[in-house]
Amino acid sequence: MERLFTLLLLIISTTAFGQTTVTGKITDEKGKPVVGASVSLENTLDGGTTDSAGVFRFTTSEKGDQLLVATAVGYANAWSPVVVGDETITKNLTIKNTARSLEEVTITAGAFEASNEKDKTVLKPLDIVTTAGTQADVVKAIETLPGTQKQGTENGLFVRGGDASEAALIVDGLVVQNAFFSGPPGVATRSRFGAFQYKGVSFSSGGYSARYGQALSSVLELNSLDLPEKDNINLGVNMAGIYASGSKLWKNSGGDVTAYYNNLSPFYGLVKANIDYYDVPKGFGGSGRYAWQPNKDGMVKLTLAGSKFTSGVQVPDSVNNPVRYDLTNDNYTASISYRQTLRNKWMTYVAAAYNYNGDDATYNGIPSTRKDERTQLRAEAKYYMTSRVSLLAGTELQRYDVTSSFSNYQSSFVEAQYAGYVEGEWTPVYWLALKPGVRYEYSELLNRNSISPRMALAIKAGRGAQVSLASGLFYQNPDYNYLYLVDKYSMGFDYQRAIHYIANYQLQRNDRTLRVEGYYKDYNSLVKENGNTPYNPNRSIEGQLIEGKITTIDNSGHGYATGAELFWRDKKTVKNADYWISYSYIDTRRLYKNYTELATPEFISDHNLNIVAKYWIDKIETQINATYSYATGRPYYDAMSKQFLGGRAPEYHNLSFTINHLRAIGKWFTVIYAGVDNVTNHKNIFGYRYDQNNNRTPIVPALYRSLFVGINMSLTQFEKDEL
Amino acid sequence: MRKLILLIAAPILLSATQAKAQNFEEMLEKNFLAFDTTQNQQQKLEYSNKLALIAKKWPDEWTGHYYNAYSKVNLSYFEPDEAKKDAYLDEAEREYEEMMGLLKKENDETHVLAAMIANARVAVKPQQRWQKYGKIFDENLSKAKELNPDNPRIYYLIGVNKYHTPKMFGGGKKAAMPYLEKAQTLFAKEDGEDIAKPHWGKKANEYFLNLAKGGEED
Repeated sequence: MERLFTLLLLIISTTAFGQTTVTGKITDEKGKPVVGASVSLENTLDGGTTDSAGVFRFTTSEKGDQLLVATAVGYANAWSPVVVGDETITKNLTIKNTARSLEEVTITAGAFEASNEKDKTVLKPLDIVTTAGTQADVVKAIETLPGTQKQGTENGLFVRGGDASEAALIVDGLVVQNAFFSGPPGVATRSRFGAFQYKGVSFSSGGYSARYGQALSSVLELNSLDLPEKDNINLGVNMAGIYASGSKLWKNSGGDVTAYYNNLSPFYGLVKANIDYYDVPKGFGGSGRYAWQPNKDGMVKLTLAGSKFTSGVQVPDSVNNPVRYDLTNDNYTASISYRQTLRNKWMTYVAAAYNYNGDDATYNGIPSTRKDERTQLRAEAKYYMTSRVSLLAGTELQRYDVTSSFSNYQSSFVEAQYAGYVEGEWTPVYWLALKPGVRYEYSELLNRNSISPRMALAIKAGRGAQVSLASGLFYQNPDYNYLYLVDKYSMGFDYQRAIHYIANYQLQRNDRTLRVEGYYKDYNSLVKENGNTPYNPNRSIEGQLIEGKITTIDNSGHGYATGAELFWRDKKTVKNADYWISYSYIDTRRLYKNYTELATPEFISDHNLNIVAKYWIDKIETQINATYSYATGRPYYDAMSKQFLGGRAPEYHNLSFTINHLRAIGKWFTVIYAGVDNVTNHKNIFGYRYDQNNNRTPIVPALYRSLFVGINMSLTQFEKDEL
Repeated sequence: MRKLILLIAAPILLSATQAKAQNFEEMLEKNFLAFDTTQNQQQKLEYSNKLALIAKKWPDEWTGHYYNAYSKVNLSYFEPDEAKKDAYLDEAEREYEEMMGLLKKENDETHVLAAMIANARVAVKPQQRWQKYGKIFDENLSKAKELNPDNPRIYYLIGVNKYHTPKMFGGGKKAAMPYLEKAQTLFAKEDGEDIAKPHWGKKANEYFLNLAKGGEED
């Protein structure tokens, strides 16, 4: 009886109260304790969580062979078999940190992304609009990034030693034929891009993808919005004019319509301009966009846009007499694109566009016109073989004809370009990404082929850090001025060529970005005018040909560009503040066009510094932005100097402020903005122009200090019965 | 004597075996209540880890996955490391998928959970994500409303979202109030007895309601 009782008690005590303690420490591969890891016996509820020392402790009534498993967020699971008896078990485990692979490795050499979609972006469309000194012009905002040159008197994006022709501006994979508004010579006009029409901007200062060609230096790529977010009406008034836009969203499609009228009278009326606008630039335009989502992974976009602008300005001629230059510009674009992803394995993209640009000008009454007409098509497909490998293949067709006339004198050319490209993206291991590509291009006008191999790679170099390298061959047609001569004078030209070598180090951590980049570009086969004539900046090429001053024009020009750039952006250190510093150094010389010696071109400043700062004051819902730009003096042709392009213009300084205030006026979300460009009224001089009597006049921007004020109101349809 | 011993021993033995054959509902209720009540982050982590073990042990119970997912979303808000925040939400999404695999069809609470996860995704990188995940948040809550307009958690989530939205975008304390108040009346009607009928949020709603009422300087 008593034995039974004892036996029962024994059974009870061992089964009901037989708990074994399991304890131990969890560390990562570096030996650091892991806090908050869950350690348990597999398929049971017996387990514990590691404390700040990485130590866990729990009791279990399980017995026998068990599997101890440790899991923690950001780490791979680890298992260890244990045999549970009566004795306390001590088991230490090491778990591997997988958080590193949560960061993608992306090619950064020569590339700046600005979009809302990718995490590793450097600039967002909203950053562009709020940057002081840019007047919300996308291209001017890009000029605060490394590798670019400030422009006050010429249109275009000047990147790493290249002139305006060397930068291609692309929207949705299609070339933008006339990215800048037409203007009189010597006046830089703004680009036609409105920052909010795009979901992303990508700037490549070199080594760009095989998808693009015809640009020796860089590509600025913009991607238009897809479906509008909600029904929306947007109205704005500023010193350049008024605009209105509306967008509507249906079930699977949406559209928006924009109309604007610009008149720069208020802008030029406030301050004395350096140029004499007797007919201030004015014009109107509009665009319509329709986007349709036929299925979850497809998008069709259709865009139509048109504008008409006029202006009249007095400019000096080669003997410094004033000339009246009247200009009327008509610009139309129609484009359609279709993107479709199939089963996450294939992505196809087709896009086509038609552009027309007509400049009708009179030069002291003499008609001077230029018409550009272009049709283009791009078709490509991307195959995602695995999550690590993808292959892109595509083709591009460009057909454009350009006609230019002065009085009765006409010049024109027709060009058709065919290109095919293949590019692969391969991530063999999580820390290495490779992007090899090759592009083939044929030009009907030059009757030449080109094959450009391209290669870019990125290597992870620690948490948030990577090293990226890029290299490739880049080809570009000679300038239009030379292409006019092909048919008329039976001249043959070859492609102009550049080879890039780029190396970059980027560190992104805690909302701070550091980028250091170095490059070397070798230019070859540049178009060069040969003859025994002294340098004449005001020459007409055809005039000099006819007079025998130019004997031949060939591809014997060459040059180089090398430099180093630093970019630092900090969104963290100061609360509600965001600033970036961009410094570029360049050493470049070339012998091309009508240059008589290898020299640094007039559009180059050796040192460029941009400091951009933005500060948000929460209490008054206002943001203050400031930009300071500095550039060393540019070379200019000094008729008095023995050295070719030996003059050095003074340094460039520009301090600009803008302020934007947000408020809700009734149901309208309103932004009120005001800005002063060149606050100190610094008289920037880009160079000097010599007339035929060797008198010189400074080349200056249209305005020194200028003021810009505006208001934007947006009304969004809120759902009526949210409650 | 034997009978007496057996009488004493039996219930002890029974309770011992009972303790071994742990009841899913009991464990779930106990650990979830503990998770939801404690304010200590280390403890919250411990209970969340327990909820994960429960969900793993009883994979065919949708409520196990539901509450584990809920706890992971909750933890993601207090985790300072961005990559870990996303890792918590990845796990929440995996548990959500498991749950949907069992339920086959969505109901108002699954939509509320989906909206919660989307909201937490936005919180990781607000500037980059508010467009994509904000839309998912709105869509799920409107679907939840269609299925059950009296679910207080719908209005609680909208209210908290509005509270954190800047005034110029239509948010702020005043904008949040009507939603939090409506949630409050609906919370009062819930009994909170059945673990299979999620009833979380009452206390959190009170907390935000007090914040929205107090310091009303606009």
